Amino acid sequence: MLALDILLSGLILGGMYALTALGLTLQYGVARIMNLSYGEFLVAAAFFAYWCFVGLAVNPLVGLIVVVPLAFVLNWAIYHILLTPLVRRAKNRDMLEVDSILATFGLLFVVQGVMLVVFGGQYHTYSFLSIPLQIVGVTVPINRLLAFGVAIAIGLAAYLALKHTRAGTAIRAVAVSPESAQLSAIDVRAAAAFAFALGGALVAAAGVLVSMFLTFSAAMGVNFTMKALIVVIMGGVGNMMGALVAGLLLGVAETMVARLGDPGLTLAATFALFLIVLLVRPTGLFGRSVR
Amino acid sequence: MSLRNLPWLVLGAVVLMLVAAFPLVASGYHLALGISYLYFTVLATAWALFSGPTRYISLATVAFFGIGAYTVAVVGEVLPWGLVLVVAALVGVVVALIVGLSTLRLSGIYFVIFTFGLAELIRQLVTWYEVNVHGSVGRYIFVEISRNAIYWQLLVLVLLVFAGGWLINRSRLGLALRVIGEDETVARHAGIDTTLAKLTLFAVSAAFMTVTGAIMAPRWTYIDPTIAFNPMLSFQVVIMALLGGAGSLFGPLLGVVPLVILFDVLSAYFPNYFSILLGLVFILIVYGLPQGVVGLVQKHWPRALKLQAGTVPVAARAAQPRSLLSVDRLRKTFGGLVAVDDLSFRVEPGEIVGLIGPNGSGKTTVLNMISGALAPNAGHVRFKGRDISGASPFKIARLGVARTFQLVRVLPTMSVAENVLASLSHRAHPLWGADAERAAQALLERVGLGDKAAMFADQLTYIDQKRLELARALALEPDLLLLDEWLAGLNPTELGEGIALIRSLQDSGLTVILVEHVMDAIRSLCGRCIVMNAGRKIADGPPDVVLSDREVVSAYLGEADA
Repeated sequence: MLALDILLSGLILGGMYALTALGLTLQYGVARIMNLSYGEFLVAAAFFAYWCFVGLAVNPLVGLIVVVPLAFVLNWAIYHILLTPLVRRAKNRDMLEVDSILATFGLLFVVQGVMLVVFGGQYHTYSFLSIPLQIVGVTVPINRLLAFGVAIAIGLAAYLALKHTRAGTAIRAVAVSPESAQLSAIDVRAAAAFAFALGGALVAAAGVLVSMFLTFSAAMGVNFTMKALIVVIMGGVGNMMGALVAGLLLGVAETMVARLGDPGLTLAATFALFLIVLLVRPTGLFGRSVR
Repeated sequence: MSLRNLPWLVLGAVVLMLVAAFPLVASGYHLALGISYLYFTVLATAWALFSGPTRYISLATVAFFGIGAYTVAVVGEVLPWGLVLVVAALVGVVVALIVGLSTLRLSGIYFVIFTFGLAELIRQLVTWYEVNVHGSVGRYIFVEISRNAIYWQLLVLVLLVFAGGWLINRSRLGLALRVIGEDETVARHAGIDTTLAKLTLFAVSAAFMTVTGAIMAPRWTYIDPTIAFNPMLSFQVVIMALLGGAGSLFGPLLGVVPLVILFDVLSAYFPNYFSILLGLVFILIVYGLPQGVVGLVQKHWPRALKLQAGTVPVAARAAQPRSLLSVDRLRKTFGGLVAVDDLSFRVEPGEIVGLIGPNGSGKTTVLNMISGALAPNAGHVRFKGRDISGASPFKIARLGVARTFQLVRVLPTMSVAENVLASLSHRAHPLWGADAERAAQALLERVGLGDKAAMFADQLTYIDQKRLELARALALEPDLLLLDEWLAGLNPTELGEGIALIRSLQDSGLTVILVEHVMDAIRSLCGRCIVMNAGRKIADGPPDVVLSDREVVSAYLGEADA
């Protein structure tokens, strides 16, 4: 029963990681922006949901409908105002990587600072639909199941949109090779901005869903960024299916360490997994070897 | 030590004495500020020591700083103080080696990500240990060290970090790191053991950070993981180093001077908005001063590099009885694509061998396997009788195999002379100092770049960049030279010069493998040609014979024309 319990909780947590990583793989794989402030936006969305629920008595799922387009616009603006100058100035991909790391490292402290001023440093949580439900002998609160269901639905929708729409095809083309995409009359700058904004919208959705069942604080962003990064690398940069599988894997592995070992060691477990993947398959579990 | 330097030395000594005497007159707030200045100077300089030249951004300063502080908390009372600092340095070095060994082999981005989470990881591990093994989260530090003593210890550390940085910059290691920062692939093919170089400097830098943490620890009477591993510190150090300019030794100091005051004022007047303001300052620096203050200065006063002319004798080469190179049943696949399939050939000393074939036939892949850029899936490469299949590029380079790249790769922001020095100083019998500079000048003259030694490599024209690549390859004193389409893209005059240059190399005893599409060059230079098609060898013999071979013609022109 313990094994089943771990598997179920792990998959639910992993679903959140997968959704988070999906957004990051869009930002890094397509827009080529290594966004270190990524997790702060997740926490910010979680605070938004908290404020909706506690302050305005609005259902977090309604908050989700508001926060996702809002985050899309905000991230689109960030790309155009903050990051476009860096994209213009970068001579090659490595330079953009370094510059974007530095700029978003600064952004991390700004966003975190704003949250600290508004909400303070303590842990926040709220009780939404925490009604226990019995599934095959394992007790799971409804809010977790709901979060998982929504995460899967959003992830699937994003995946299908990228596979089957014109805009999605453009984005995938840019992910593979920005130079060649240009030759196919794709506006690379616009596709990158769109991908970055879409990534921001996905992480905001993940933030709202996470807030429904986890406690969070203003300082927790780094944790989420790290986990998303690790999932992206494990799955192979730019590989959406890989991010999904790696996210679920990480969720289960972490839950296993927390239940059987010590909750304080989950980050260590994450790092260990990261190292093993790096040493054995630097291109990711599903990445193809580079020539 | 010339007389010209004397006034500077005197000035330096006076400043040093004034700085050292500061605690005797200052106290309270001013002394605390002085301590801040010193410890940020050490941290930012140590950070730039590694991250400046290599451009591997480390976000883990506080991880090492915190380790130092915790070392004092754990062993501070049992060991004498000097030994405590040594232990701290050792722990820092060990952690740096573990982190470095697992991530520095890979590309820079993995290192950044890893260091980004490292402080948080160590903080959680220490917390876990303290709660489960030690029994309480915090520790009291009972080491009695006065603030004056802390100040003087930090001052000594400042002097050490500057002395260390100065020595490294003047050493082959310093040059190696700058080459790595410019182009890591070139570094490996120039004979540089890139992993060792990065690892060494990362460990040195970490040792300084850890000792700083240890010296600072007695300033707290109580520490817990949240205090010791505050990520803000890593951030502040990066800002300071970048504002000043991470590329030079005293650059970070220029950032420390204004920012310590700024941070102090901000945290005094806007304690709640500190992190927001810090972030904004940082973003401004990234946009406005990407090269730091030092970069701004250098842009307006570019440095000049002078090298004396001289000659270097070409080493006499002993006759070698065996084949210089033998390639035996070599195979390389990329996924489902077989790039090189069961390829065997030999190259004798003194030969110029052309490796030709249609695009995509696997020629560059063969060169990559000989030079170590790629490891074969099967088969062997033997050079001077030694099996070098799958060995690191730098080892193969030191054994005497040099190469140029199909797409020219120079070290753009280093001088032409330094491009050549990179190889000279890392070959099997390395040259350094005045000898190396003379040898570099001689090599540049040999390829026709004698008057351009002080220019930056990215200011050269295309043909001159190709000449520079050749000079850098020759600087390894190779026995075998691999030229990957070195003659491509040259105009007829340049082509004639190029052919003459390669022939002169043969006359000095060098063996050359030439991947080339310029058939005139093949005909006039090569005694023998190996023709590849779809990864296989389809002909091997004198150019006139193989170029009229039916299979070769059909490979190039298609079946109908053959």
